[in-house]
Amino acid sequence: MMTVLILAGELDELLELRTVADQIGAQDVEALVPDALVDGDTLSSLGLKRVYLLEGFEETPPEELVKIVIDLVKKRGHGLVVGPSKKIYRELFARTAQNLSSPCLTDCTSLESVEGSLVAERPFLGGGYVERLAIKRLPALLTIQLMGRRPQTREKGSLEMVRLGRLSTEDLRLRRVAVEKVERRGADLAKARVVVSVGRGFKRREDLKMAEDLAQLLGAELACSRPIASDLGWMPEEKHVGLSGKWISPQLYIAIGISGQVQHMVGVRNSRIIVAVNNDTSAPIHREADYSVPLDLYQFIPALIKVLRERGARVA
Amino acid sequence: MHVFVKQVPDISTLEYDPSTLAPRLEKATPRLGESDLVALEAALRIKESWGGEVVVLSAGDGLNELVLREALAMGADRCFYVSDPILSRADAWVTANILSRLSKKAGGADLLLCGEASSDSGNYQLGPRLSEAMGIPCITHAVSVELDGKVVRVRRSLEDRTEILESEAPLIITASLELASPRLPSLLMIKAASKKPMTRVDISELGLEKDLLEPLVERLSVRVLKTARRNIVLDGGPLECAERLVESLVREGVLRA
Ligand SMILES: Cc1cc2nc3c(=O)[nH]c(=O)nc-3n(C[C@H](O)[C@H](O)[C@H](O)COP(=O)(O)OP(=O)(O)OC[C@H]3O[C@@H](n4cnc5c(N)ncnc54)[C@H](O)[C@@H]3O)c2cc1C
Repeated sequence: MMTVLILAGELDELLELRTVADQIGAQDVEALVPDALVDGDTLSSLGLKRVYLLEGFEETPPEELVKIVIDLVKKRGHGLVVGPSKKIYRELFARTAQNLSSPCLTDCTSLESVEGSLVAERPFLGGGYVERLAIKRLPALLTIQLMGRRPQTREKGSLEMVRLGRLSTEDLRLRRVAVEKVERRGADLAKARVVVSVGRGFKRREDLKMAEDLAQLLGAELACSRPIASDLGWMPEEKHVGLSGKWISPQLYIAIGISGQVQHMVGVRNSRIIVAVNNDTSAPIHREADYSVPLDLYQFIPALIKVLRERGARVA
Repeated sequence: MHVFVKQVPDISTLEYDPSTLAPRLEKATPRLGESDLVALEAALRIKESWGGEVVVLSAGDGLNELVLREALAMGADRCFYVSDPILSRADAWVTANILSRLSKKAGGADLLLCGEASSDSGNYQLGPRLSEAMGIPCITHAVSVELDGKVVRVRRSLEDRTEILESEAPLIITASLELASPRLPSLLMIKAASKKPMTRVDISELGLEKDLLEPLVERLSVRVLKTARRNIVLDGGPLECAERLVESLVREGVLRA
């Protein structure tokens, strides 16, 4: 019987990762979460056997968390450890796996049990392809690409809570001299019905105002390509969509000034309708769009805003 | 300094077989991974400002020396590589085991750099796994690296925060794509690279126990992802186009007007 350990820093992550344990029919599911996450009601209706509450989870660096995870996995004999596809968890899982001579798979999009062995799928070759992988040894550590899956509701069950004390930061070889938190803005992109997304076609940061106005008019969330967040710093990193960012599935995705490289498109592939605004007719995004607007965004976006206002159009 | 680079298929020109949906990897143009080149650029800048030697390390199946020479053309001094069929089945575990030994074989280093993720597999695992295998601390996702005497100062960018970390050598750093823009080698540098030493190391020279070479994951298949889209091109001027788009979206039921 497979036992599963879920690591999650947020309730939404925990809920989604719980579905992964269901997919492989795991009976015995435990979770390791920050102590601040205690929400007895929700936790007890997730069908978890045991929850470990870790004080200082968020601040504990991966090289320290490794020790806790190894300890738990060895003691409890988990066959599978899952966590969200975020940088800290990928690092934590890779380290733990190396230590335990275990496999680690990052960014998994699916997991199933095939004739008793675990088979996972994950993006390959920049996201234009999927690779299907058989896991040959347990325990396995998998980060799961979050895509807004929701678990079935269950009867409230008994739940054992175990508090783990704060770790002392022993690794003196690394010193954290400064940490800057990035302010959270807007709602969760994964849940948005309409997303307006901006790319390097915008020449100045101030010009994003146009996209913000459009988003506001549509009740949409604003997202971006990786360079807008990481190279230019015009948007927070958690707003970039694609292979190394968020994977979203809105009803409507409006890509403005985005070229549409595979690494970007893999994150928006599940959108129902894709609109591309790009004045280069040879940009790859036009091949992956339902509606292509081959115009200068600086002329088209104001026109679109005008038409939407005149018509009083809003999201259905 | 040791910089780990991986030979990968050039994704931008990669084609797939329409009957099997599998990529035609045998026809792909080989190149070095994007974030590997960023790591190399960062190492070269450290060398230019603070001195040191830049050694490139690579492991793969059927490695092409001409591709590895691109790293030497950018300014690396030497290259050690393992080219062996065993690497065609290698997972992150096997790769880390081989590269950690190769790094030792090449004499070890104060700073070890690699890309945050390879361009083909995108595992994000090499740096952290090397850290555990070699007992050397690792800072992932670096967006800047500075030397201050003996102290290495790294800024790393996470989804919800940026951190500044300090450490002394030895240290492993994984490069975010944003750490540096890789230079394009001049003709002169390309010429000079042909004289730089390249050492092919046989995998048997690394003294790896059998279980360190046994992959823990097996690739069953690879298929292309295709989503059918309607590809409707809206023509006309900005206002006309906007009108048409709004009408279409109302018809689709996503907008109400
Ligand atoms: C390992 C790896 C992971 C990556 N992960 C991601 C990821 O998760 N997400 C991501 O987005 N990228 C990712 N990338 C980067 C990706 O390959 C592209 O470089 C990036 O998506 C390009 O961003 P962009 O479309 O904004 O910019 P560009 O490619 O520069 O495109 C800008 C577009 O704007 C258009 N344009 C310019 N001016 C105008 C105008 N006035 N009006 C209309 N259109 C205009 C241009 O025609 C062009 O097509 C990754 C890359 C690698 C190697």
